[in-house]
Amino acid sequence: MHDTAKLEQRGVPAAVIVTAAFVREAEVQRAALGAGDLEPVVITHPLSTLSEDEIEARAQEAAPQIERVLTRRPPPQHGGGAPARE
Amino acid sequence: MTSRQTLPSGQIVFDPRGAVAATEIRLAPRPETLRGVRLGVLDNSKWNASKLLRHAAAALDGFEPAAVNRYVKDSFSREAGDALLDRLAAENDVVVTAIGD
Amino acid sequence: MSTAQTASPQAAETVDLVEWYFRQGWTDGLPVVPPTPESVESMVAALGGDPDRVETRVPPRWGSLTREVLAVNLVLAGCRPAYAPLVRAAMLALCSPHFNLHGVQATTHMAAPLLVVNGPVRTEIGMNAGANVFGSGNRANATIGRAVRLMLLNVGGAQPGDLDKSTLGHPGKYTFCIAENEEASPWAPYHVERGYRPDDSTVFCIAAEGPHSVTNHVADDPEGVLDSIVSAMSTIAHNNAVSSGACAVVIGPEHAATIAARGWTRADVRRYLWSHTDNTWDDVSFGDRYGRVYNRNLPRWYRRRPGARIPIVPDPDDIHLFVAGGEAGRFSAFLPGWGHMTSPVLRALDGRAGGGRAPCVDGTCEL
Repeated sequence: MHDTAKLEQRGVPAAVIVTAAFVREAEVQRAALGAGDLEPVVITHPLSTLSEDEIEARAQEAAPQIERVLTRRPPPQHGGGAPARE
Repeated sequence: MTSRQTLPSGQIVFDPRGAVAATEIRLAPRPETLRGVRLGVLDNSKWNASKLLRHAAAALDGFEPAAVNRYVKDSFSREAGDALLDRLAAENDVVVTAIGD
Repeated sequence: MSTAQTASPQAAETVDLVEWYFRQGWTDGLPVVPPTPESVESMVAALGGDPDRVETRVPPRWGSLTREVLAVNLVLAGCRPAYAPLVRAAMLALCSPHFNLHGVQATTHMAAPLLVVNGPVRTEIGMNAGANVFGSGNRANATIGRAVRLMLLNVGGAQPGDLDKSTLGHPGKYTFCIAENEEASPWAPYHVERGYRPDDSTVFCIAAEGPHSVTNHVADDPEGVLDSIVSAMSTIAHNNAVSSGACAVVIGPEHAATIAARGWTRADVRRYLWSHTDNTWDDVSFGDRYGRVYNRNLPRWYRRRPGARIPIVPDPDDIHLFVAGGEAGRFSAFLPGWGHMTSPVLRALDGRAGGGRAPCVDGTCEL
């Protein structure tokens, strides 16, 4: 998250891919960095032990999210409009 | 700013956590689409990050970026150095990085 | 949990504060000492006053460690005020970028910061460097290590199962703090080897697995003793084998005396250990059983060919050597590290940098 936050501060939209097990960690980092609007791209956990075909499937999970995070359209889980922070 | 609190009983307790202070950072302005955009791909060298990013970059090809530039971070756990971040910012319009797992 | 309220004529019932701190989730699973304004003030005074001064921020939550918050955790852990400067030095060292505490806190590996203390502070505050040095029974060792863990938990936010994702954990996550037995050591103390003066007091931090005992009750020569330590190091099970980085070796006084009796120096020991560990590329690549593995975590100059011997750490200086433990018993210990993702750090209590070659920033030196 730190790298993506620094890139955003340099004016470059950045998307970071995390596995589902690390979504909470990503949330905490965003809070600490003041980067609450930075949405991670989330794929099924794990990644490290996968075959080439399984990795391809993860990439398919990631690609539409990457495109959304990097362009103007907000991620669907927030239903459009400003993301709510609990 | 104090950690000290008083319970309804009058007993004094202390919060050991400390405050989290952060100034909100504003996100960078985004392009309307990825078509014609220079896409940077930053591999943090964790297991399978490079394979995942190779497949993801291929999947993003459908959005017709102008270029896909690849970079590798030396250590998966440490933050990328300023020099690498400056290069990424200079050579790309958007960046995707992996992997937090 | 509760906000401050003005005292009402019928104040609520007194609560058991030990239980209250348990309920907030602010303990390590053991009871803590409920702080009072007086006990917190004593700790702040021992830190030099100025309770709102921010010493550092602790990842992964990046909570601000003010002197008051430090003081609160010192009391919770059961420390005496005399321990405060040492604990502060440890926190500053751990939170320096070199150490990458964020990674250490969050990793699925069991690594936990080990603190090793050198210099006069050890005797001033009554630390144990002798028998049972990694064990319990000494207030200074126990509570200094515990205060650090409570801050990693409370200020850093590394709750087990949540942001602390360690699969197995290890007992050092209660406390993991020792002193070098400079008095029983035949060699110069660790911090002097690193460029500090003998009368400097320092704290060394490395992210480490638990101690792996090395027994040798037979050898009466340096090679014999060290070959047993080499054996403990020559395995693919520990993290250095697959993730490189640094490790620690703690030599017990009887073993140290045997080694030094033949004139062997600290450098001889570290170079012998480094040169003779016998992991091969086949070992760490599982004989290509799961396909060809490059493993970018190991240095690019390791030879990736069947039969090639590879060192378990890149350099003899990546073996951090200490003498500690009791004077009876022919045992030493090997403590693997986490990997190249963290660097061990060394810091003097007064923030003075040593005269060695290590790069030091704000008093914390990267090793």
